[in-house]
Amino acid sequence: MDLLTNHVWIPTIFLHPEKRSHDGTAHQDDYSVELMLSKLFESPIVILGFSLLSKKLEHCSLKWAILRGLLGLPAGALVNAFGAIVFGAPVGIKFLTRTVNWALLMSLLTVVPTASVYGSSWKDWQRLYAHSKPITPIDYAVCLPAHGAVIGAWFGAWPMPLDWDRPWQEWPICVTYGAIIGHTLGTVASFIVILLLSRQQRIKRD
Amino acid sequence: MGKSLEKWRLIWPFFFIFFLHTAAIFLFTRGFLLTRTELSSTSSCSDLSSSPCSSDSFIDPSTNKTLHCWTKPAIDRVIIIIIDALRFDFLAPSAFFEEAKPWMDRLRVLQDLAYENGSSAKIFKAISDPPTTTLQRLKGLTTGGLPTFIDVGNSFGAPAIIEDNLIYQLAQNGKRLQMMGDDTWLPLFPNHFHKSYPFPSLNVKDLHTVDDGVIEHLLPALYDKDWDVLIAHFLGVDHAGHIFGVDSTPMLEKLDQYNEVLKEVVEILQNQSGPGGLHEHTFLLVIGDHGQTLNGDHGGGTAEEVETSLFAMSLKQLPPPISSIFDTSHCELDMDGRKMCISSVEQLDFAATVAALMGVPFPFGSIGHVNPELYALVANTWTDQGTTTITTTSKNAYCSNLELWMQQYAAVLCINSWQVKRYINQYSTSSIFGFPAEDLLQVENLYAQAQATWPNVTQKEVLLNEEMGNGTCQTKISILQAQIDAYKDFLEKVSELARSKWTQFDAMMMGIGLSILIVSLVIHLSFIKRARNQIWVIKGSNCGLIEKPHSNKVLSFMTVAVIFGLVLYAFSDQLMKSILVISAIFARNEQTFVYIVSWLVLLLAIGFLVLSWCNVGSGSDWNVDSEVNKKGSSSNHYSEKIRKECSTGEQGYSMKCMIALFLVAIRAFSLLSNSYILTEGSVARFLLATIGVLNLKEVLLEESTVLVAVSFLLLNVVLGFTGENGFSKDVTPASTSISVNVHVSDMGQFFWMLFTEVMPISVLAFLVFRSFQCTTVSSQWRILKYGFLPLVILSYILIPVYWVLESNVVAIPRITSFEKNLLPLVVYSVGFGLLLLLACCLVFERKEGTSKCTGDIHIAAITMLTAWGLVILMLLGRQGPRIALISILEGWCIIRSQKVAQKKEKLENTNNDMLYDPLPVTQWCFLAVSLFFCAGHRCTFDGLRYGAAFVGFDDFNIVRQGILLFVDTFGISHILPIFGLPLLVTFEGPYVHNKRGRAVFFSKLTQVFLIYGLISAITATFTTICVLIQRRHLMVWGLFAPKYVFDAIGLMLTDFLICLASLYYF
Repeated sequence: MDLLTNHVWIPTIFLHPEKRSHDGTAHQDDYSVELMLSKLFESPIVILGFSLLSKKLEHCSLKWAILRGLLGLPAGALVNAFGAIVFGAPVGIKFLTRTVNWALLMSLLTVVPTASVYGSSWKDWQRLYAHSKPITPIDYAVCLPAHGAVIGAWFGAWPMPLDWDRPWQEWPICVTYGAIIGHTLGTVASFIVILLLSRQQRIKRD
Repeated sequence: MGKSLEKWRLIWPFFFIFFLHTAAIFLFTRGFLLTRTELSSTSSCSDLSSSPCSSDSFIDPSTNKTLHCWTKPAIDRVIIIIIDALRFDFLAPSAFFEEAKPWMDRLRVLQDLAYENGSSAKIFKAISDPPTTTLQRLKGLTTGGLPTFIDVGNSFGAPAIIEDNLIYQLAQNGKRLQMMGDDTWLPLFPNHFHKSYPFPSLNVKDLHTVDDGVIEHLLPALYDKDWDVLIAHFLGVDHAGHIFGVDSTPMLEKLDQYNEVLKEVVEILQNQSGPGGLHEHTFLLVIGDHGQTLNGDHGGGTAEEVETSLFAMSLKQLPPPISSIFDTSHCELDMDGRKMCISSVEQLDFAATVAALMGVPFPFGSIGHVNPELYALVANTWTDQGTTTITTTSKNAYCSNLELWMQQYAAVLCINSWQVKRYINQYSTSSIFGFPAEDLLQVENLYAQAQATWPNVTQKEVLLNEEMGNGTCQTKISILQAQIDAYKDFLEKVSELARSKWTQFDAMMMGIGLSILIVSLVIHLSFIKRARNQIWVIKGSNCGLIEKPHSNKVLSFMTVAVIFGLVLYAFSDQLMKSILVISAIFARNEQTFVYIVSWLVLLLAIGFLVLSWCNVGSGSDWNVDSEVNKKGSSSNHYSEKIRKECSTGEQGYSMKCMIALFLVAIRAFSLLSNSYILTEGSVARFLLATIGVLNLKEVLLEESTVLVAVSFLLLNVVLGFTGENGFSKDVTPASTSISVNVHVSDMGQFFWMLFTEVMPISVLAFLVFRSFQCTTVSSQWRILKYGFLPLVILSYILIPVYWVLESNVVAIPRITSFEKNLLPLVVYSVGFGLLLLLACCLVFERKEGTSKCTGDIHIAAITMLTAWGLVILMLLGRQGPRIALISILEGWCIIRSQKVAQKKEKLENTNNDMLYDPLPVTQWCFLAVSLFFCAGHRCTFDGLRYGAAFVGFDDFNIVRQGILLFVDTFGISHILPIFGLPLLVTFEGPYVHNKRGRAVFFSKLTQVFLIYGLISAITATFTTICVLIQRRHLMVWGLFAPKYVFDAIGLMLTDFLICLASLYYF
């Protein structure tokens, strides 16, 4: 139920860039604003949602979970921005705001949930991201969407070099679309896995 | 003896694959780069009698002799000034562009002439056909045809044009030609010139020799009477573009210099243009042979490269009515409010137009048409005669002037159409792939239509001439106009047809070549399998290398297919043609046939690939099984154990293999799209980063190696930045934007240079020193250590010293270019000497007969890299050390992270140290690709770094400079990575001396080389497929064909180097 809350924002992001993509030049800045707004709305939801989740799980205070999530946001953004540049994202003053916005969004999709659930537990991070071996339902809820977002962003970069001259081929847009689609798929997958897991457990219990 | 046999048993696959690839590429290239058939027929004056156009006006009634050859000459003398790589915006007024750039409006003199009132001068946008290289354009301009790509290959040693051409016609008809400038002309037209002043054109660093020579001879020649056609070819702009780019001070200086020269030329001409003057009937043409990009490159088909300008001026006043002919569709107002128009003209039409103006026969193979506007510029010649005989009212004069001109023009077009028609007819009868029948029919109809009304025009002419002055001139003009339009339709249709169909491909050859290439991939794969099986056998039986019976039905089938293909080829043209005829009947035309063949082969090969891939596990199991059974040992449990080991090993292998395969497939498929080819460097870096991230994910457990993985990613970023900067031209102080900085902070720049250039090279030298020091050295390498190390270090010092001298940062008086060139020569000789010594070591060692231990190979690889590295560093220029340092560090990161991954796998599974996992090799390969682009190379001929060929030499020698250019282009992306490949294996573990360890080691080395070769072969195959599919694409000559040539050469070089390396290391 908590898991549902953090996907409320997806439609908002989907709708707005679509609507804007007709008017050429001003589009980029609009897009940044769009991202910023969506993040403003979304970050509390994500952080709160996963913090609640972690609280339920580990019986630690909500306050700390929120704090961890908040701390994870910029840290994850840094990691993501670095990743983007490694993969060849354009660097420069002109692209700074876009990259920062994108990195914050990616951080929300990938790092923040894990951070607010597991905090600085290095072992859990390793288990989730080095081995990719989630065990509990909450592992799945955290890990699959994050992987989905990263893989989606990776695929999303593909159309960028094509000479179609579409506004959405600009640096963060199609990557963002990719990340969001990947994240959605990951979420759906995690739902299914969690359902299956709980059914198994029920069978076991029986 | 047994040892060498063992060696050959290991390395023969490399040679076999090399042979296959060479055959495949040779066949495909023969099919792909076929030229249009060149007809050697020539036009002559007497041909015209067979045309329907020879009207009475051609024959002087009094003497009954032809007055002139084909057309009535309009001018006596023509001056053709060619400015190489003249961009359209160099000449066109800046009002035509969104933004005025510093290089616009520099040729003021021509602009003023063209746009002053009542001028008889005009600026055109001239559109050339790719390939936009000077030789091809000269061919195009003079023959009036479409030169094809194969000529690029001949570009360095241009043979004489065998086709009929303008220069030949001019010389044949008694015109005296004088040529000065670019020496490309002379081999093209060896004995057509009356007088010539050629200057060397290939040294791009030299901006002035050609131009100064031309200026020195051009101005005096204008006072001479001993020429009819004067050709002056300036090269400065082209060279300035190649070296500095368009936005640079040398470029602007060059343009200003030309402005001055042209001003003088025009003044001289105008002074003598009066009646009876030397230049009364002189026509001035200033043309560019092609354009260039802002980066100064050309060769492709982009608008910037294709669009050049043409300035034409007749020295006579233009009669007013003629101006109504001019196209006024593209006009702009300049700042003074003058109306300026620019119409466009095809370079294809140049030969026909000049021939018509000069009154010589059109070149036989010309498919251009006489341009009306250029023809109108000399309208005065006829209207002069008109006005003297007819003295009527101004309206009548208007009519008669226009009418006279139109009559002339219609007559010229009639001859023009007849000539083009004659060429098309002869071409389609003498070439197997002529034009498609339906297109020919359409052209035929158009011609017949146009020709049907021709007698009308001539008869009406007579009629109208009789009732002159009756005000019917409007009707007459409209009749003439209709006739002209009809001819024009025909001529345009022909050139369109020629353009679309001219590059003809030999479908069969291409099909065979491609299928051999694809077959070779399968064979390659089975070789890798073989190498891996050998390892298992070693492991199982512990008795050295055993050649095993290979299960491959696939392999044998493929070999048969290849042999069949070769035999088919051997039966040569006869068989080929008959097959083609049959296939053409079935497939309607060659294009669909090629599609069918290529897709069939592709599907077949993919099927086999999948099949053999699926077979890998079971096949090898079976092999080992049978092997052990054959030995008849009682060790049933042993075979059981091996089987288990094998299957577990299989899984670990497959996972990584799949990732590697996936990434290679992405790269290969990306080559099918022009956008991805353009951004190939970024794609390679993207994939490299992907592997880096995957590695990071894998090693996230050990903190020490996390650092390695992260630093790999960081280096990747640095590599990206270097690549982006590497695109700008090498010599920085020349660019206008940077030159400001240079003057402001000489000292700062010095320190910056110290930091970016001297620091990396000293680190490099240190690394080399260390790597020599800390390797345990066996006896024969000791000479290297103590003999050559000082020399190598010395060279590393000499390289930056040379750059300092080159850049003139530190002013050292009295240093001649010879002394300066001595430094690179020393470096070359040290590198070469080192290579020689290595070869000696090889022979020496062979005699001694000691078996190599892996430590030896380690140091052999490092020495090899050092030797090549010296030369390549020298050639790469000042950004070289930075890139080299990055590449070494990245290579080290790859080796390190691979080691960790292996350690981890060893923990999980004891068997895996036997297999070589393809991911690091893939990474190595992608690194090589991105290095190619980061070092400033591109897959185009104009992207070659010609400057590198002249490091250490001032004069041009085709072999020597060719080798240097080759080493520069492929050095960092092919030579170094391939010779460095063994490091992936040698760094893996402690040096082993026992027999089994060695056997494992060599098998691994074989695998590494094979996998690397396979990856290159896969990409090259996809480039080939891409070229096949896109061969009618707009950019085929600009983008795909050069890419194919680069990849094909790269693949053969890779194979060759792998063979060499296998001889050297094994």
